Amino acid sequence: MRFVDEFRDAELGRVVAGEILAAVDPQRHYKLMEVCGGHTHAIYKYGIDDLLPANVELVHGPGCPVCVIPMGRVDDGIAIAHEPGVIFTCFGDMLRVPGSDGTLLDAKAQGADVRMVYSPLDALRIARDQPERQVVFFAIGFETTAPSTALTLMRAKAEGVENFSVVCNHVTIVPPLRALLESPDLRLEGFIGPGHVSTVVGARPFQFIPDQYGKPVVISGFEPLDVLQSALMLLRQLGEGRCEVENQYARVVPFDGNAAALRVMGEVFALRPHFEWRGLGFISQSGLRLSDDYADFDAERRFSAPGVRVADPKACQCGEVLKGVIKPWECKVFGTACTPERPIGTCMVSSEGACAAYYNFGRFARGERAAV
Amino acid sequence: MRVPGPPSCHCATCADEGVPMRVLGVAAGAGLYDCAGEDGETTTVDMTLVEPVAPDERVLVHAGVALVKLGAEP
Repeated sequence: MRFVDEFRDAELGRVVAGEILAAVDPQRHYKLMEVCGGHTHAIYKYGIDDLLPANVELVHGPGCPVCVIPMGRVDDGIAIAHEPGVIFTCFGDMLRVPGSDGTLLDAKAQGADVRMVYSPLDALRIARDQPERQVVFFAIGFETTAPSTALTLMRAKAEGVENFSVVCNHVTIVPPLRALLESPDLRLEGFIGPGHVSTVVGARPFQFIPDQYGKPVVISGFEPLDVLQSALMLLRQLGEGRCEVENQYARVVPFDGNAAALRVMGEVFALRPHFEWRGLGFISQSGLRLSDDYADFDAERRFSAPGVRVADPKACQCGEVLKGVIKPWECKVFGTACTPERPIGTCMVSSEGACAAYYNFGRFARGERAAV
Repeated sequence: MRVPGPPSCHCATCADEGVPMRVLGVAAGAGLYDCAGEDGETTTVDMTLVEPVAPDERVLVHAGVALVKLGAEP
């Protein structure tokens, strides 16, 4: 596939791995956090960690939007899905996220009309086709996905589609990064920055990381060579004593982002005072709600939802995994009580979650490494 | 690099689900265009955030919306 195969070239990968080896100080230990779940997925899928020297450690961050949804929000969605006459729509990975008493798939099995969609525009189409039903879209995702929800709501408003509403769980990327940087139990050398979030927000919002915390950031693409090159760029910054935001993914990410996307988000959404993140707790101004102009489309106003905070299962260590304090396999229930088929924690649900990515791809590599 | 064994699966929600597509032409509805993916499959995409676009231009699509125009193929 053009524009993809070039970034999966194994020979080039070995060349970059050699350059990484030459760039590191053998006396130093490097911890680099990849923020985005897509990077985590690529790292395990292509065995990128196997190409890195032993003193370069990749830490998996909180950038999987499915993984950070707290159980209480899932319970709210399930309660709305059970309302009479509701067609409840969401992205596929949300269906298996456990609430306190089951998943949206369980709700579907119990008779709720729960449907998977690829885009909120698909949910709006269902609403147009079935005006006698209430169609609810469970919106999750970072700034990459929020414009899609915003544009859909603008269409719904312009067309006067009154049977459409949204449970807004959109989150923003900067506040959790700041929270992580403030965390006393976290030691990081630099960040592999999110690629497609940056197509919307640009590179500028990450400038506070070098300016205020003295850590370099490299915005990265998702192919294996992208991630390897980004690691090399970070290590070179560290070796040369530089501390900047660099854009490895310049073929896609404009430095200033997408002004039109930011504008529609500004019109449709407003910041919540705080929002709960699974494993990270409440983070100020990290979540979005519908703005007052779009309040009529707010499913949380249209339906009654419990709105109760639910503590994570005690055995689950998603929080430590999301903060990079432990590796997925160090969790007490990883691969035993918690598997992709029967997840306890959200990191095992989404294919981008660190635990699921490691479970699906990483055990092979660890076995190989152990055998060497 | 290891050749992946288990099946690949993308999470539609996650930001890594950015699909390069080629613009085919205008579809019914303001800002909507028919587009083709690398596999030839066609779908309708909202181009509001990257307009104006012309046939054969390439865009990166996430959750039914084009987020950025891509350069020419290498």
